[in-house]
Amino acid sequence: MRLEKCWFCSSTIYPGHGIQFVRNDAKIFRFCRSKCHKNFKMKRNPRKVKWTKAYRRLHGKDMTQDSTFELERKRNRPERYDRNVAENTLKAIKKIDKIRVAREARHHSMRMKGKKAIEQQAAAKELEQSIHLVKAPAALQEDPSLTLPKIRVTVSRSQTEDAWKNNDNAGNPLTWWHRKLNSTLSYASLCN
Amino acid sequence: MVQYNFKKITVVPSGKDFIDIILSRTQRQTPTVVHKGYAISRLRKFYMRKVKFTQQNFHEKLTAIIDEFPRLDDIHPFYGDLLHVLYNKDHYKLALGQINTARNIIGKIAKDYVKLLKYGDSLYRCKCLKVAALGRMCTVIKRIGPSLAYLEQIRQHMARLPSIDPNTRTILICGYPNVGKSSFINKITRADVDVQPYAFTTKSLFVGHTDYKYLRYQVIDTPGILDRPFEDRNIIEMCSITALAHLRAAVLFFLDISGSCGYSIAQQAALFHSIKSLFMNKPLLIVCNKIDLQPLEGLSEDDMKLVMEMKAEAIKTVIAQGGEPNDEGALLPMSALTDDGVIAVKNAACERLLNQRVEMKMKSKKINDCLNRFHVAVPKPRDTKERPPCIPQAVLEARAKASAEKEKRKLEKDLENENGGAGVYSANLRKRYILANDEWKKDIMPEILDGHNVYDFVDPDILQRLEELEREEGLRLVAEAEEEDFEMDGKELTPEEQEALAEIRKKKSLLIQEHRMKKSTAESRPIVPRKFDKDRKFTSARMGRQLSSLGLDPTAAIDRARSRSVSRRGRKRERSLAREDGDAMDIDDEQSSKKLRTRSRSRSRSKSRPPGEVTPGEGFKDSAQKLTALKIAKKSVKDRNKAARRGEADRVIPNLKPKHLFSGKRSIGKTSRR
Repeated sequence: MRLEKCWFCSSTIYPGHGIQFVRNDAKIFRFCRSKCHKNFKMKRNPRKVKWTKAYRRLHGKDMTQDSTFELERKRNRPERYDRNVAENTLKAIKKIDKIRVAREARHHSMRMKGKKAIEQQAAAKELEQSIHLVKAPAALQEDPSLTLPKIRVTVSRSQTEDAWKNNDNAGNPLTWWHRKLNSTLSYASLCN
Repeated sequence: MVQYNFKKITVVPSGKDFIDIILSRTQRQTPTVVHKGYAISRLRKFYMRKVKFTQQNFHEKLTAIIDEFPRLDDIHPFYGDLLHVLYNKDHYKLALGQINTARNIIGKIAKDYVKLLKYGDSLYRCKCLKVAALGRMCTVIKRIGPSLAYLEQIRQHMARLPSIDPNTRTILICGYPNVGKSSFINKITRADVDVQPYAFTTKSLFVGHTDYKYLRYQVIDTPGILDRPFEDRNIIEMCSITALAHLRAAVLFFLDISGSCGYSIAQQAALFHSIKSLFMNKPLLIVCNKIDLQPLEGLSEDDMKLVMEMKAEAIKTVIAQGGEPNDEGALLPMSALTDDGVIAVKNAACERLLNQRVEMKMKSKKINDCLNRFHVAVPKPRDTKERPPCIPQAVLEARAKASAEKEKRKLEKDLENENGGAGVYSANLRKRYILANDEWKKDIMPEILDGHNVYDFVDPDILQRLEELEREEGLRLVAEAEEEDFEMDGKELTPEEQEALAEIRKKKSLLIQEHRMKKSTAESRPIVPRKFDKDRKFTSARMGRQLSSLGLDPTAAIDRARSRSVSRRGRKRERSLAREDGDAMDIDDEQSSKKLRTRSRSRSRSKSRPPGEVTPGEGFKDSAQKLTALKIAKKSVKDRNKAARRGEADRVIPNLKPKHLFSGKRSIGKTSRR
């Protein structure tokens, strides 16, 4: 029993899955699921289809050459069984996996390295160019910083804050929801 | 070989059939339509074609017949004579000659009539010429009708002749009728010849094949021959005589020593002596048949003498061949009924024939070419010492031991049977593994681990390589740790700026969404233009809110909008009041009322009006007049609107030929109007 690779997307095909297609020139194509099979029948080139491993490797999104890949190679000559070798192999597989994963993560982070700087620059530029959408030029002249304009509100009442907040018009102390009601009402009048 | 395969001759049609075939072919394969209005050359060509076509077909078919029937002079004399005996050479030749002349005559007819057709001047004349030509050709064929029938009969008979190869090894069986020739051939070959008690059961030659020393021999059974002068022989006897005369074969002369065939030994001996000239140069064997009825030793004196005479003859031929004067080879007793001596006879005959043929081949000139090509090399013995093959002692012992062991060893099969049989016991295939440590024979090794094939990783020095890999990894980690320092750039936006950016992005996406909505509805659905403000959202308060969110002070704008609204403009009385409001109003007086109306149309509460009231103005005397005018206007527009026309000039027909009116069947009724 062997785990094979899908010809289209290069994912592993577990036993009991997928379809194998044998062409007249005796070349075998294995597919992991009908998605890959149908793409193949449509004669699509996996190197041009974004989500396949072939594309990702070709365009440098994934790691291509690495010494961890050389340890895993299909050997056609059978080896005589040796328990020690078998044990070592099993242990080694796990370690190699870990290393490989770490290297792939590193590759990814290297790829993404300059992204932050670029993003920051783009944000600054956008802010500068489109500030007119949220701040009128007149307001920008007065306050040249690239921030939202301060909304001016006219306050109509001359009461001190505390008295207004904690007592109603008749001078009675307010309950908390009275106070809340008052504050919303005042906000509404401010907005209008 | 063409010589003796007469089955491939094509069928010869009878006269009438022949004519029918050819004429119908002419009719089918030449053009048939012609009118008298055609050009004369075309008419002539048409009829000439027909005549020529017919002549060609006759020619072809007759040629085929003539070619396929064998020429008696060209084939092997055996067949030539056989055909002559059966069919009479002269008659045969005459028939074929007639066919030949017919062919030539037809050719001449066609040539003549084509010459005449060249000068035909009308359709009718050409047609008559053609009819005449074809008619004459058909008469010719009718006249040779009997010949054709005769040839057909011959063909059928020839196809049934036995396929005898005159050049290969042949054994000929001859003798009086009823002596047991056919029984013999039935015994040694697969031929199934009729065996009956009456004479002349076999009326023609029969062939069987038998094998001896990896070679195939033909055995030919002939009809019986009676002792008569040559001229009186009938056709059946002549067949056997022909065979005897022409085939180079071993001859088995059958003798019935019991006399149950109806003829005595004396008569048979007489026959023998009369045809012994035919046995020249042929290995001869006298076969005494039916010894179950009368043993050879029990013959009378006279009979014995006769038999001995015949034997002497046979021996003479043996000597002529160069063999030893051997009794056994010349006279053989057998019984076809009891199979006694049959094989011996066959072997003797085959042996004699083979020897004779080999001798002849050796004497002929051609053999030297063959002999030059092969040479059997035999090593010359050095001396007379015996040198047997030398087998070392150890090998001999091993051989003995192996054979002993083979009997003692316990087979897997026995093991299986002991432990329950085929379905129950499953053999341990790992029993004979050769491993470094025998304990490992029971190990189960996984094939798959974590999505990898374990066998792809197996390597005796995998540990070493793993160590290298880990070292590499360690180095790389160290290098990375050093790199970690400079990563930050420090040109980040402040939180307020980020807020502003978020707001900008939100606004942009809103704009895009609105635009998309507008774009999608603009083609399919007409929308109410902004000035009609159906949702009543274009208010001055909203404008004020938007301006203040942009950071501007909206009061001035709101005041202006309010003062310029139509509700204020509409009242004559209030115009004078409005003038006091601001300078801005004066400038706008000249602008069209339409533009003013596109601005805010909010009416202040104090100026509300009942819905039905119509203000006089625009040239009308009073409100009543204006009302009627409005009514007339609405009436004139009503029908147009119902027909969904944009205006007076809109004559668009969206679908000039709707499919449902111009195609399809009706479920009931006629479709005579579209």
